Amino acid sequence: MIWMTWRQFRTQAVLGIAALLLLACYLLILGEQIRHTYNTDLALCAKGSCSGVMNEFTGQYDLQTEILGYVLIVVPAVIGMFWGVPLIARELEAGTHRLAWNQTVTRGRWLTAKLGLVGLAAVAFTGLYSLLLTWAASPLDAVRDDRFTPLVFDDRNIVPLAYGAFAFVLGMALGLFIGRTVPAMAAVLVVFVVVQGVMPTMVRPHYLTPVSQTVALTKAEVSGLSFFGEYGTVGGVHVAGGPWIVSTSAVLDRSGQEVGHTSWWSDCVNVAAPAQLPDCISKQNVHVEVTLQPAGRYWTFQWYETGIFALFTAVLAGLCFWRIRGRLS
Amino acid sequence: MTPVLEAEGLGKRYGRRRALTDCDLSIPPGRVIGLVGPNGAGKSTLLQLACGLIKPTSGTITVLGQRPGTDAAQLAKVGFVAQDTPVYAALSVADHLRMGAHLNPGWDGQLAQRRIAQIGLDPKQRAGRLSGGQRAQLALTVAVAKRPDLLIFDEPAAALDPLARRGFLENLMEFIADLGASAILSSHALSDVQRVCDYLIVLADSRVQVAGEVTQLLERHRRLSGSRNELEVLPPGFEVVHADHTVNGSSVVVRTNRAAAPSGPWQWAEIDLEALVLAYMTRAEAQR
Repeated sequence: MIWMTWRQFRTQAVLGIAALLLLACYLLILGEQIRHTYNTDLALCAKGSCSGVMNEFTGQYDLQTEILGYVLIVVPAVIGMFWGVPLIARELEAGTHRLAWNQTVTRGRWLTAKLGLVGLAAVAFTGLYSLLLTWAASPLDAVRDDRFTPLVFDDRNIVPLAYGAFAFVLGMALGLFIGRTVPAMAAVLVVFVVVQGVMPTMVRPHYLTPVSQTVALTKAEVSGLSFFGEYGTVGGVHVAGGPWIVSTSAVLDRSGQEVGHTSWWSDCVNVAAPAQLPDCISKQNVHVEVTLQPAGRYWTFQWYETGIFALFTAVLAGLCFWRIRGRLS
Repeated sequence: MTPVLEAEGLGKRYGRRRALTDCDLSIPPGRVIGLVGPNGAGKSTLLQLACGLIKPTSGTITVLGQRPGTDAAQLAKVGFVAQDTPVYAALSVADHLRMGAHLNPGWDGQLAQRRIAQIGLDPKQRAGRLSGGQRAQLALTVAVAKRPDLLIFDEPAAALDPLARRGFLENLMEFIADLGASAILSSHALSDVQRVCDYLIVLADSRVQVAGEVTQLLERHRRLSGSRNELEVLPPGFEVVHADHTVNGSSVVVRTNRAAAPSGPWQWAEIDLEALVLAYMTRAEAQR
């Protein structure tokens, strides 16, 4: 059955290996470049004005690493669609399952071989990609100090492996239950996007109870913010140590009242020159309340997320076995 | 001897539609069984149940003494060629034989090679580019080379032109003789299987209408003709299968347990298989 699985998977596997090789070459080169720049910048750092140098350093490689990160988030969906779905759906569509299931191999073993071999390939692909990207971007991540934010968390270390396994089995299961390749591919895309949207925004923040913290809007803090709302709200609050900011309150004054649409706030936001903004806001002695997941919980969250997706994967695989042994015609 | 196929109260439904109802069968081994019935009668359902592709919703079925498709040993004993003879379009003829060798412990590589050469298939040719007849031959080869005790063919002749059909059936018969296997062949047309089968099952409207050895069936069915009045009431032991009344007289196909000529105020004649099958199919149609 291993021969047969390989024979049917050969073309996709070769394409996958070629893509992975290209990515690996690029990531190795990029990683070396990042390290080179980092070491030169560290030398400059020693001579003073470190933050400026380091800002330049992250800015230089932001685009590449972000794009590579997005690609790694998309890769599981692609694997699910092009490796997972055809595995069974194509057999059902062509009617060849009636040939395959009458060889001297039980359907359970047939599925085990496909699931095992191609599933392993899916995990290996995402795993190697993640390993290389994590390595390449590690100096950058250390400087940026925000590896907990969803778009970085999702494409570093071990979670991509679980996403890969999940998306692959999702594709296989939808292919089996829907029975037609193209609709199943579309369904994989929809389900994967929904899951990847819901997990980081609605589920992941609650793995552990977030910690509350008051953050004063000092000059330094305000200059790092990314958003100022008309009604006294801000975005992009940064807390030293790299925790994940889960929620940010409205801007509060000393008595804890919301600042809201007061005249000084709109003056600061609308009238003052951008360079004056930090001064303008910080002299009002205002603060925000944030809830955050401390940076020390990073690996706990990586394992939780991996465990949850592994569980999804196991449930979907179980459904496939149940279905294929049961009432399928 | 273990029956090749035994069914008791076997039924299969898809949602509310009954594909097969209350099917009772016991087929002795060593036969070539023709399964005949109109399209949608449940032939494919019965055959797919027999090779374990689907599960019954009621009743039981055993094939060669075991529930179909339960384990590898059972799968090894049954060779199945599905309707429209599916093969892997992207795989070559040689790949199909390799697949057979990898997936069947009892694979007879020599037999497979010999057969491919005999029908003149190019081993390097992709299966997707074969003609309908060649595809059927390839599917047959894969099913046969695992050396099963029972070969099942779902409408093997449907996609073939008359010449290819003839060649295919001749080939098939050689194999069955070679392997000493039993075989079940389904068709919507009796003419496809008549030449080769010695056991017949007529399936219509999801039910088994009649089943038995061909010689026995022919012995036990008679056509009676006479006036309508004379044929209205028949003595016990006669079961009317189908009656045809015209102004010139009536003709009734009856089933009887008596081997002797039934005597009465009518003329009787032996009937051929075609008329017999037609009588049962017409009856099933009328009862719907």
